[in-house]
This record gives sequence, C-alpha cells and structure tokens, in this order.
Amino acid sequence: MKRLAFGLLVLALVAPGFAFAQEPAKPTPAAEEEEFDPSHEWDLKTWGPELKIGPIDMSLNKAVAYLILGMLVSIAIGILFMRVKVGRDPDRKQALGETIYDVAQVQVAEQGLPTKAIGRWFPYVATLMIFIWVVNILGFIPLPLSDERFEIGGVELPTLAIFAATSTLSVTLALALMTFFFTHIEGIRWNGPAKYFKSWIPDVPKAMLPLIIPLEILGQFMRLISLSVRLYANMLAGHMLILTFIGLIFVIGNVFLAVIAVPAATIFYLFEVVIVVSIQAYIFAALSAIYIGSAIEPDH
Amino acid sequence: MLSSFFFLAAAEDGADAGKAIALALGIGLGSLGAGIGIGNIFGSMIQAVARQPELRGELTGIQWLGFALTEAVVFYGLIGGLLAYVLV
Repeated sequence: MKRLAFGLLVLALVAPGFAFAQEPAKPTPAAEEEEFDPSHEWDLKTWGPELKIGPIDMSLNKAVAYLILGMLVSIAIGILFMRVKVGRDPDRKQALGETIYDVAQVQVAEQGLPTKAIGRWFPYVATLMIFIWVVNILGFIPLPLSDERFEIGGVELPTLAIFAATSTLSVTLALALMTFFFTHIEGIRWNGPAKYFKSWIPDVPKAMLPLIIPLEILGQFMRLISLSVRLYANMLAGHMLILTFIGLIFVIGNVFLAVIAVPAATIFYLFEVVIVVSIQAYIFAALSAIYIGSAIEPDH
Repeated sequence: MLSSFFFLAAAEDGADAGKAIALALGIGLGSLGAGIGIGNIFGSMIQAVARQPELRGELTGIQWLGFALTEAVVFYGLIGGLLAYVLV
C-alpha cells in the first residue's frame, strides 16, 4: 500500500515531464501550421450543446470540467479523511484528517474569526481552503481534459495538458464575491447597518473626512479585486511560465534548447506545486476569515 | 484576451516591440519592489525566530500571509501590464 502510494506519487511527479515532452511533438495537422502560443490554453471551447439560460451561459467547457472534478475530489477528501472512526491510537488516515482539520482550525479560522462566530464560519473557510487547494493541485496534474485531440489506433483522445480552473478570472471572482457578500451580510447582522458602516471610517479630523470616506469605500471593493486577482494571477503566471519555457523549444525550433528549458520548467513546476498551490489556498481562506471576522467585530 | 501575448511574436513590428518592452519593464520594476518586500519579510522572520525560537509556530502563519500579500504585487503589475498590452 505504502509502496503503491509512493509509486503513484513518483508517477504523478514524473508524468508531467513526458506529457510536456510529447504533447506539442505530435500536434494535429491543423495545429501544426498555427504558431505556438501558450495563451491559447485559455481559449475555452464549449463542449457539447450550448446551454444558455437567458444571459447566463451554462454550457460545459474545460474550466467547468475541472471545477466539477475538483468538487468531486474535495467531497471525496472530506468523506475519506474526516469521516473516519476515531480510535484510541489513530491510524494514518485519521492523522492526516486531523492535520487538515488542525490547519483549517488553528491557522485559518482562529486567525481571523472571533470566538462567537467560529462555529458558523469555520465550515465556510475550511471548505474554501480544501476546495481551492484541490482545484489548484489538479491544475498541475496532466489530465486528458484539453481541447486538443490526437489519434491512437483510430480513436480520438484528448491530449494530456495542465490547466487550472482557478487560472480563469470568473472562477476566482465568484469565490471572492461570496466572501464579499458574506462579509457585509455578517457585519450588518451582528452590528446593525448604522454601526457597521460607521465602523468603516477611521478616527480622523473632520476636515479629512471627504478624502477618507471615498477611499475607504473604494478600499472595500479593492479587497474584492485583490482577493480574486491574487489567486487568478498566481495560477495564470505559473502555468504561463511552464508553458512558455517548454514552448521556447518549439518556437525557436532547436531541440538542444531543451537542456535549459526543461530543467527551468521543472523547477518552476516544483515551486508551484510545493509552495504556491498551498500558500494561495491558505491565503484565500485566511483572508476570507479575516475579512468576515473584522466585519463581525469592527473594533479589532 | 491574451491571444496576442507572446514575446517573440510581439517583436515583429515597431509598435508591438515598444509595447513588449513596456510590459517587461513594468513587470520587472514590480518584481523589484516585491523582491525587496519578500526579502524583508523572511529576514525579519529569521531575526524573530533567532531571538525567540518558541514563537516560531505563531510567526509562520503571519510570515506566509505577508509573503502572499507581497508576492501578489508582482501579479497586479503583470495583469495591469497585460491589460494595457492587449487594450492599448
């Protein structure tokens, strides 16, 4: 079991290299003519029929598929690790589950949420943390969910590619909007509208107020932008860097460039997987907790 | 939105080359500031842990919070630069 898990981990870390090396090497005839451009990965094509409800586009595409997959995996994590039978001496599954819970409780929820609101908002921030982490990490595992196709023995299969749903602005903006609305709803619910909106304005001399009030109101919306753009741009830049380094071989058209490009891409890949993925999930959840907490108790 | 973003493809005519240089300069200056900031954060963290090793656990959370907040500045520059690159 341990050996199997280790083998899978090694495979998961090694496989991207092969996918990178092979993916652009066998493009479809149509793709051979067009110039390589890493940003084409973010042109989302609709899969299957278009499902439009009024102005809302509900049709499937690559990002939606990744989101659904991420949702299923985070539900599986919850059921597998959190719903174990608690024994006197914990097995590894319980220990891992408790570690995840501990990070969510101590590092995320207790950082920002006041004690009186922790019971209500812990599930939200913990879900955010696990869900964003899963979607981020899925973005660095090559999965056959891309828009490009290749043929093996007459069967058309999607190529392996890396793509994170969180590297599209719509996804991160939706997540940030949830935090934004929860923040103000909770602030008004606990403090009443007058006291809550008054708490936005710091203690300054009266003459400064016309300057400060617009800035503070703008600041509330800047939170929304910074929260969403931070996650979006981190994932976008990470994928773009890796794709650009590998793509350099095909743009310049010299195989020997691989000596530099592949190690550089691997280093960035490891940096993203080891540090950025977890940090961004943690930071999003922690900032959500801090924003909601500061709305509930404005004096802090 | 990003369909025309690639530095080699951009260098083909004069106007695009200028935009590419501006984009690179903007991101470069942005990373300069973020680099100083991140260095400050980790330097202060080392000092703090050296003085009071027992606070390490509490400080780690704050350190990563500061790291992510600072690091994001580069990406605001990147997104702003890309927006200007594509729209102008």
